[in-house]
Amino acid sequence: MDHGIYGPYADKLKDVLDIVIGAVKSCGDSAAGPHGEKRYEHIEGRVKTEESMLGKLSRRCLEATAENALTAVYDAVGVRVVCRFIDDVYLMADLISRREGIRAVERKDYILRAKENGYRSYHMIVEADTPFPGPVGGKAFYAEVQLRTIAMDTWAALEHEITYKRDISRRDLIWEELKRCADELAACDVSMQAIRDMIRESGERTDG
Amino acid sequence: MRILIAEDEDDMRDVLEAYLTISGYEAVTAKNGAEALDKVREGGFDAAVMDIMMPVMDGVEALKRMRDEGNTVPVLLLTAKAEVRDRVAGLDAGADDYLTKPFAMEELLARLRSLIRRGTPGAPDTVRLGDMVLDTRQGILKCVNSIALVSRETELLALLMRSTDRDLKESEILSRVWKDFEGADGEALKLYVRYINGKLLSVGACFRVEHRPGGMRLCREAEK
Repeated sequence: MDHGIYGPYADKLKDVLDIVIGAVKSCGDSAAGPHGEKRYEHIEGRVKTEESMLGKLSRRCLEATAENALTAVYDAVGVRVVCRFIDDVYLMADLISRREGIRAVERKDYILRAKENGYRSYHMIVEADTPFPGPVGGKAFYAEVQLRTIAMDTWAALEHEITYKRDISRRDLIWEELKRCADELAACDVSMQAIRDMIRESGERTDG
Repeated sequence: MRILIAEDEDDMRDVLEAYLTISGYEAVTAKNGAEALDKVREGGFDAAVMDIMMPVMDGVEALKRMRDEGNTVPVLLLTAKAEVRDRVAGLDAGADDYLTKPFAMEELLARLRSLIRRGTPGAPDTVRLGDMVLDTRQGILKCVNSIALVSRETELLALLMRSTDRDLKESEILSRVWKDFEGADGEALKLYVRYINGKLLSVGACFRVEHRPGGMRLCREAEK
C-alpha cells in the first residue's frame, strides 16, 4: 500500500473514518428528541477507493500525489448521515460543526439550492483532529460529511444508478421523471416536517 | 367574485361599478385597454367586462394580448357599434360573449352569471410574483429550486400570490379554496399555511405567508 495514491497515510484513513463517524454518532446521540427519538436514521462511511481517487485527480488535472489526494480533494474520507426530517439534517450539521476537534471549513447547501437534476443534500467539508500526523499539517485530516433525509437518500441512490449504468434506453425520459420525483419527495419532506411541528406545538399546549 | 370593468367613459364606468358592487361583486376598474391588460396580468378575476372603443389600446387588442399570454379569464365585450364585423373580430380575438350598447343592466348581470357558471378557469396557467413562478396546471412552484404542490396548496398559493395588496380573511380563503369541503376549518388552513411556508423556504423564495390582524398575506420576508 506504500506506493498507493494515499502513500504513508493509507493505513490511517480507516481510523480517521472511524473517528469522524464516532464523533458524528455521539453528536446525534447527545441530542436525542424529547421522547428519545434519534436525530439520525443511520450513519455510513467509506474511504474512497484508490481507483476512484486517481480518476478524480486526473479529471481535475491534479498530479497523483498523496498530498493532492488528501488536501486538494476533500472526500478521501466520506461520511453520510441520513435523517428522518429536514430539521434534523440542519441540527446534525450544526452539532457536528460545533463539536470539539471538528471544524467545518466549507458548506454546500444543496437542499436550499438543489442541483439542476434535483439532487438535494447538505455537504460539509470538515477538518478532524486525529492522533496521527496528517497531511494538512498538525494532526488533522479532511473529511466530507453529507447529510440528507431518507427521501433524499433514496433519490440519490437512483441517481447513482442511472449515472453509472451505461446502456439505458430513454435516458432523457428517466431524467425527466427523476426530476419530477425529486420535487415530489421534497414536497413530502416539507409536509412531514410541518405536521411534526404542528404535533409538537399542540403537544406543548396540552402539556402546559 | 372579482370582476374587471374596462370602460373609458367615466359615467358608464361609474354606473357599471356601482351596479356590480350592489349586486355583490368586487369591481375593479380600468380606463383603457392598456390599464385593463395590466390589471388582468395580476390575476384573480372571475370575469371581465370590456368596452371595444377605448383610447391607448382598444378592447379587442387588449383581449388579443391577454389570450396570447395564455390568460383565459371570461370576457364580455361591450360595443357601441352594431356592426357584425366588430362582433366577429371581438369573438375571434377570444371574447366569450358580447353586448351591444345600449343594454339593460339585468341582461349584463345575467350574461356575467352565465360566463362565470361555465367555470372557465379564470386564470392563466402560471402565476408570477417576484422571482417565483407557480405552474397551476402541473402544481409546480419554481424559484431557485422547484417543488411539487398538491392541488389545494396550488389553489391557496395562487390566491395568495394574486392578493398581495390586501389581507385575506380566513373565511374568504376557506370559501374559495375549500369550497368542496364543508368540514374545513382554521386548523386545516393553518396546516396548509405551514406547508406553503415550508415549500417557499425550500425553493429559496423570499416570500412567506404572514398572519396579520386583518387576515393572511404573502409578504416579502423581513431582512435578517
